[in-house]
Amino acid sequence: MDRLDLPQGTLDLLILKALSLQPQHGWAISERLRQVSRAMLDVPQGSLYPALHRLERRGWIKASWGPSDNNRHAKFYELTRAGRKQLGAEMDAWQKLTTAVSLVLEMQ
Amino acid sequence: MLGRPLSELLHRVRAILRREAVERELDEELRFHLEREAQTYMRAGVPRLEAERRARIALGGVERIKDDDRDTRGVAFLDALAQDLRYAVRTLRLTPGFTLAVIITLGLGIGATAGIFSVIDRLMFRPPAMLHDPGTVSRIYKQYDFRGRERIDGSLEYRRYLDISQWTSSFSQAAAYQDASIAVGVGQDAGEMLVGRATASLFSFFDARPALGRFYSASEDTPPTGAFVAVLGYPYWQSRYGGRRDILGSTIHIGAGTYAIIGVAPKGFAGMEIGETPVAWIPVSAYAGLRNHTWADNYNWGWLNTIVRRKPGVSVASATADATTAYRRSWQAERAMDPSVAPLEVGRPAALLAPTPLGRAPDAGAAGRIPIWVGAVALVTLIVAGANVAGLMLARAFRRRREIALRLALGVGRGRLVGQLLTEGLLLASAGGLTGLGIGWGVASAFSRLYDQSETLGGGLVDGRTIVFCAVVTLLAGIATGLAPALAGARGDLAAALKAGAREGTYQRSRARTALVIVQGALSTALLIAAGLFVRSFANVRALPLGYDVDHTVVVEVNLRGMRLSHDEQKTLMRRLTDEAVTVPGVQGASQMVSIPFASFEGTGLVVPGIDSVQRLGPFLLQIVSPGFFRTVGTRILAGRPIDSTDRHGAPLSIVVSAEMARRLWPGRSALGKCVKVGEASTPCSTVVGVAENTITRGISHDAEANYYLAADQVDRPTYGLYVRVVGRGADYVEPVRRQLQSVMPGVSYVRVMPFTNMVGGAEQSWQVGATMFTALGILALVLAAIGIYSVIAYNVTQRTHEIGVRIALGARVANLTGLVLRDGLRLGVIGMGIGIVLALVASRWLSPLLFDVSPRDPAVVLVVAGVLVGVTCLASAMPAARAARVDPNVALRAD
Repeated sequence: MDRLDLPQGTLDLLILKALSLQPQHGWAISERLRQVSRAMLDVPQGSLYPALHRLERRGWIKASWGPSDNNRHAKFYELTRAGRKQLGAEMDAWQKLTTAVSLVLEMQ
Repeated sequence: MLGRPLSELLHRVRAILRREAVERELDEELRFHLEREAQTYMRAGVPRLEAERRARIALGGVERIKDDDRDTRGVAFLDALAQDLRYAVRTLRLTPGFTLAVIITLGLGIGATAGIFSVIDRLMFRPPAMLHDPGTVSRIYKQYDFRGRERIDGSLEYRRYLDISQWTSSFSQAAAYQDASIAVGVGQDAGEMLVGRATASLFSFFDARPALGRFYSASEDTPPTGAFVAVLGYPYWQSRYGGRRDILGSTIHIGAGTYAIIGVAPKGFAGMEIGETPVAWIPVSAYAGLRNHTWADNYNWGWLNTIVRRKPGVSVASATADATTAYRRSWQAERAMDPSVAPLEVGRPAALLAPTPLGRAPDAGAAGRIPIWVGAVALVTLIVAGANVAGLMLARAFRRRREIALRLALGVGRGRLVGQLLTEGLLLASAGGLTGLGIGWGVASAFSRLYDQSETLGGGLVDGRTIVFCAVVTLLAGIATGLAPALAGARGDLAAALKAGAREGTYQRSRARTALVIVQGALSTALLIAAGLFVRSFANVRALPLGYDVDHTVVVEVNLRGMRLSHDEQKTLMRRLTDEAVTVPGVQGASQMVSIPFASFEGTGLVVPGIDSVQRLGPFLLQIVSPGFFRTVGTRILAGRPIDSTDRHGAPLSIVVSAEMARRLWPGRSALGKCVKVGEASTPCSTVVGVAENTITRGISHDAEANYYLAADQVDRPTYGLYVRVVGRGADYVEPVRRQLQSVMPGVSYVRVMPFTNMVGGAEQSWQVGATMFTALGILALVLAAIGIYSVIAYNVTQRTHEIGVRIALGARVANLTGLVLRDGLRLGVIGMGIGIVLALVASRWLSPLLFDVSPRDPAVVLVVAGVLVGVTCLASAMPAARAARVDPNVALRAD
């Protein structure tokens, strides 16, 4: 099965979702997205970091330096309260969009 | 929790301020990612090097990520700007001559415009400081017909001011005021200073609170005589009283009154006039009440400027109609009191409303128009300067076409390229703007000094508004100069430009640039011709025999300041002053007088036996003198004798007439011994004892005046001034003479002493202004034209380097080559000059009334200007010509 390209704008949603469970560093986020999507989604690693920094600037996630699982110094990201709210809103919007698109596609 | 915009801002600020730290963190983060990614591959059995390679491929280019990241940080723009700036500085430093030429050109243009702006701004646009909502405030002017001519008059009678304020409904406020030089202080301290006489309502027009004490109220300003209270101006409070707060309640002598100080106006408050701040404001009714008790009841004394504030929503047109109705009613009221006032149909009175700046008053004369006219020329100069610079930049852009094309080919965005050229333009313009600000300051102070309007214009001519103006002009100039080559460069066809060397299509003359240089040549020629005409006029005026010697004479005016002396007392005082004056070391003589050339004239009725209606031959101007007058002022006696000590009270009456008066009354015959009756037919004869040379009395012209001189001892009326003859310059004696004379002045009266040259200087001013302004602008235009010619010729030489190289290789001689280049420059210069001369000839019609004894087609002036222009053109072309001569054919032919 071919990997899917991410539709425009969904990377932010995926990052927020990935961070909603626990604080993660960048590599872990990309790894997690790959695993959970059963390797169907190709998260372009090159766009991951600019996206993270964009979200950080918007105040939806915040970063701190800490030791990683193999005791390396790594930058960890976690959701802020505003980020959690944003995640809810974006998930809502996504659900509505997919529902609406499916309805249209299923029309007889 | 931070709001999103704030959080975003903080991150951006951090990104800019702590840029290195942010970059380091990013590095660190990406390195960590690569390590982890490589580890996963290695765990799957991939060797280390290969694993690292795969990790890098998966991540994509690290530098690109960093770049993307920077873009989202908003740092890219700053980066680009800094880079552009560095690049611009570097390229500009490579061509110091070009850079200097551009900066000087822009500086001159911006400077001239800014200087003139600061003057025009004050005359035309700037509302008085602290005036509340200036847009609703208007000055009121009377317009009426008098003896068939329309007159506009901004001086209202107090009664009229009351009529208009009470009979209109359009205005929420009205005030009347007049600022004038009035005697302030007593004894040796006494001097004339600017004092505002104002209704109490004036202060309520302003957002001003007294710095100390209070303003006076309407109840202190009621006719016939108001309260003697004064509000000091801030600068005078500081300079005279050292800003002491205990001055409230002390008194100040102003004019004929003694006023209690009740307050100090705030800093910056100067009333309605722009410029010098009055030393004090006093109630109109206190000042006028000292003159008589009917001043507020009749229409005899028009002296007050009147301002009104329109109610919200009232248009100027309807307010004018309202004020006109009130003025017509007031006219009728005046006619009821004085039947000699013309009926409404004849007088056709109307009120006019004008904005507060005096330059926009309906009666603003030449004083208002000259600076505007000069401003227009200065603006043209700026446009020429801007065009010149754009031309220089354009020339360079063409030379850099390959560089630009190369950069485009390497993938530099056109936007970025335009941005870079704009940066260069703005950088040059900023340097030019700074230079211009300095020049502007010089221009403004020279202009106000020359124009003797420092008082009306105020000091500190370069201020916030001028600087803002300069900045705006600089910005526009920068955009224009940067954009022109940017447009030309970015439009260019890449491939064509890349393929072509500078050799390709060598030597394309730019028609626009050639035309521009010709226009500059024409403009500077026309301005220089005007300058030459004014300089000659001024010289002619200076050479005109005045009939008296102004350099060694001082003028003394006696101001009794409301003191009432009998004629005898005053005559005694004047004799005493004359005696006192000659005791000052260096004083050679002194004489009483009643009139000062260009300033005040006196006259009485004359009857001459044997001549009907003598007045038809007039006007005859009277001077009353004491013995020694003619020696004192240096007027020669052509026949007979001067008024001397034998012409005393009781002796036979004597009169001296000017040669012109003798010619008019007794043409072809000797005037000596003739009889002139001063006054009526019944008065006894005054015998002509002498004929004096003609003098310039009322204005600079060749028309001789009919003057007559009577002895002070033999006439009834007193004199009120002195001429004092000194050794050396009059100006050096003003203070010693004043000190000596003031010591004998009774009470609060005082003397005013000034050099005679001041009176004449004022009369000569218009020519001096014309000469200086035109010379300055002409030279400015000439410098610009020279730079223009230089840049065009230098550009052409650069373009033709290859061709010149070929010529040299083929054996052309240096003289031929320089001649070739010089001819190019001269052609431009001479065409411009020709157009300029035609322009000046066309304009001569308007110029001739302003000139004195010079034909507006004066060949000498035209010749000199033509010579100057040819010389400057040669000079401007000489440098590029020399460069052409130095072209090394080896280098030129192998280049590209």
